[in-house]
Amino acid sequence: MMTFTEYAGSFQKTAVSFWHGLSITMSHLFRRPMTVQYPDRTPLPVRDMLPPRYRGFLEVDTAICTGCQACERACPIACIQITLEKDPANPKQRLVTQFDIDEAKCMFCGLCVEPCPTGSIQHTREFEGSVANIRNLVFRWSDPVKPFPVYRVEKGAEYFARAPLGSLVRARLEAARWNAAAVEYLPPEPPAPAVAPVPAAAPAPPTPTNPETK
Amino acid sequence: MEKLILRRVDRNNEEMILNFGPQHPSTHGVINFIVETDGEVLRKAVPDVGYLHRSIEKIGESTGYHGFMPYTDRIDYVAAMFPNEGYAMVVERLCGIQVPKRALYLRAISTELCRIASHLVSIGTMTMDIGAFTPMIHGIRERETINDLIEALCGARLTYNYHRIGGVAFDLPEGWRDKTLAFLDHFDKFLVEFDRLISFNEIYIKRLANVAVIPGPMAVDYGLSGPNLRGSGVDFDLRKAMPYGVYPEFEFDVPVGKGMFGQVGDCFDRYICRTREMGESSKIVRQALDLIQQAPEGDIVAPKVARNLKVEAGEALSRVESARGEMAFYLVADGTNRAWRVRTRTGSFTAMGIIEAISPGLMVADLVALIASLDVVAPEIDR
Ligand code: SF4
Ligand code: SF4
Repeated sequence: MMTFTEYAGSFQKTAVSFWHGLSITMSHLFRRPMTVQYPDRTPLPVRDMLPPRYRGFLEVDTAICTGCQACERACPIACIQITLEKDPANPKQRLVTQFDIDEAKCMFCGLCVEPCPTGSIQHTREFEGSVANIRNLVFRWSDPVKPFPVYRVEKGAEYFARAPLGSLVRARLEAARWNAAAVEYLPPEPPAPAVAPVPAAAPAPPTPTNPETK
Repeated sequence: MEKLILRRVDRNNEEMILNFGPQHPSTHGVINFIVETDGEVLRKAVPDVGYLHRSIEKIGESTGYHGFMPYTDRIDYVAAMFPNEGYAMVVERLCGIQVPKRALYLRAISTELCRIASHLVSIGTMTMDIGAFTPMIHGIRERETINDLIEALCGARLTYNYHRIGGVAFDLPEGWRDKTLAFLDHFDKFLVEFDRLISFNEIYIKRLANVAVIPGPMAVDYGLSGPNLRGSGVDFDLRKAMPYGVYPEFEFDVPVGKGMFGQVGDCFDRYICRTREMGESSKIVRQALDLIQQAPEGDIVAPKVARNLKVEAGEALSRVESARGEMAFYLVADGTNRAWRVRTRTGSFTAMGIIEAISPGLMVADLVALIASLDVVAPEIDR
C-alpha cells in the first residue's frame, strides 16, 4: 500500500523529471540543427558529399572491359548479362554484343566490382534514378548494332585509364530521364496477363431421336 | 492456432479475440499477435509469425558461398554486421581459413558500432511505444552519425555486406579513426544526457518497472539470449563466455539486470541493459582502434580464398553475440560450390516464444511494452 509520503514523493519526482527532460529539449533551441533539406538546400549536390566508397549505380567503361565475365559470374542475382561473339570481319577479335545491367534488380552489394581485372565496372555515387518506366533502369553498355571489342590487357600493366567515374552513368541517366521512351533493344515486354477465356457454349445435349420416326 | 481463432466467445462477458498486427506500428514490423482479452486484461497473446518469410536459408543453398553474403544482411537489417560476421565465421571454420589480425579488429569495430546503432533504434522505438517521442528522435540522430561512419567504411548505410569469407572488404579510410573517436567522445556525453532525458524519468520508470517480469530460470528455459537474457539477471555473453575473434583482448563489462526499480527481469531491466551495453561497446571500439594500429595495414583478407569456393563435405557452427542475442549459423557442405544446408538461429525468434507464457494477466498496453523491451525485429524472426 502506498503511503501518503510516497504518493506525494512521486509527484515531486515527476516534476523533477519534467524539469530534466524539458531542460534538454530547451537546450536544443540553441544547438545547430541536424536536419538538411534535401535536395535543393544542400551546399553541394548530394552525390558530391557522399564518401568515395559509396555504392551507387554501376558504371562500365567499355574502353577497358576485357569481356572476362567475372562480374557476371560474381553477381548472386544474375542482373548482369554479357554476350560475347566473334567479330565477323576479324575472327581473332571478340566483341561484346550485349552488356546489360539491370539496376532496378541490383542490390548494390559490390561483389561484381571486386573481381574485375581492370576496374572497368565500378560503383558510382549516382543514386537519383527515379524513372517512370522501370525498364529505363536497364543500362545497356553495349548493343548488338554497335558492339565494342574486348580490351586486351598489356603484359605487366597495372593502371588502366578510365573515364571520370560517374560521367558515363550520368549521361545514361540523363538520356533515360523521367518520362523518356524506354531504351531500344530491350528484351520483349512480358506478355500481358491472359484474358480469361470465355467459356465455350456447352455442346447441346444430343436430342434423343426416336428410331421409329425415321 | 486454428482452434484459438475459431473458439466461440461468450457474449456475456467482455472476452474478445483480436488480431494485433500484422500492420500495427508497435509490433515492430510485420508480426501478428492473436490476442485474447477480457476487457483490458490479456488472457493470452499468441504470436503468429511468418509474414516476412523470404526463404533466406533456402537461398543460401542456391547461391555460391560468396554470393550469400549480401543476403545475410537482410536477415537482420537493423544490425546487418552480425549475420555478416556469423556467416563469414562459419565458412571460415569449415574451410580452416585463418583470418588476419587486422580484419578481426575491423570486424570488432564494425560490429560494435553496429550494436550501438541497433540499440539506439531499439531504445528509441521502445520509448516511442511507451509514448515519449523525443528520445527516439535523439536516438536516430546519433545513429545517423554511425551510419555516416559505416557508409564511409563500406559504402552502404543499411545492408553493409562488409565482411567477406576470410576477412573484410575494405580497410579503414583516411581520417576515419579520428572521426570515430570524436564521435565516441560525443556519444559518451550523449548517453548521460539520454539518461537524464528519459531513462530515469519517473513516469517512464513507473510505466516499465515490474511489468512483464521474466525470472532468470524462465529466460534460460525459453532460450532467450542477449540483452533479454541478461536483463533477467543471467550473466551470459558469448563475447565473454565463448570468446571469438579478438574479444579476449578487450576489457569490458557485461551489464546484467539487477532489478533497479522493481523485480529482476522486468521491462526496465531489459531497457537499462541495452543503454549500458552501448557504453561498453563504445569502450570496445576505442580499444580496438588503438590495438589495430599494431596490425599491418592492408592485411585485411586471407590470401587464396577461391572465388568459386568449394567446401569439403562437413558441418560447422558459429555463434556470435548479436545485438538481439545469440546468432548462430549452422552450415552443412557437401563438397560442391553450393551449401547443402544453411540454418540460422536468431535471438528474435526465440524471444517470440516467451510472449505466450508471459502475457496472461498483462494489460493490453503492457503487451506493447513487452514486445518493445524484447527488441524483436520482424525479418529476423522469419528470415
Ligand atoms: S552490385 Fe551486386 S547485385 Fe548489383 S550487379 Fe553487382 S553483384 Fe550484382
Ligand atoms: S567489367 Fe570487368 S569483370 Fe566485367 S567483363 Fe569487363 S573486365 Fe570482366
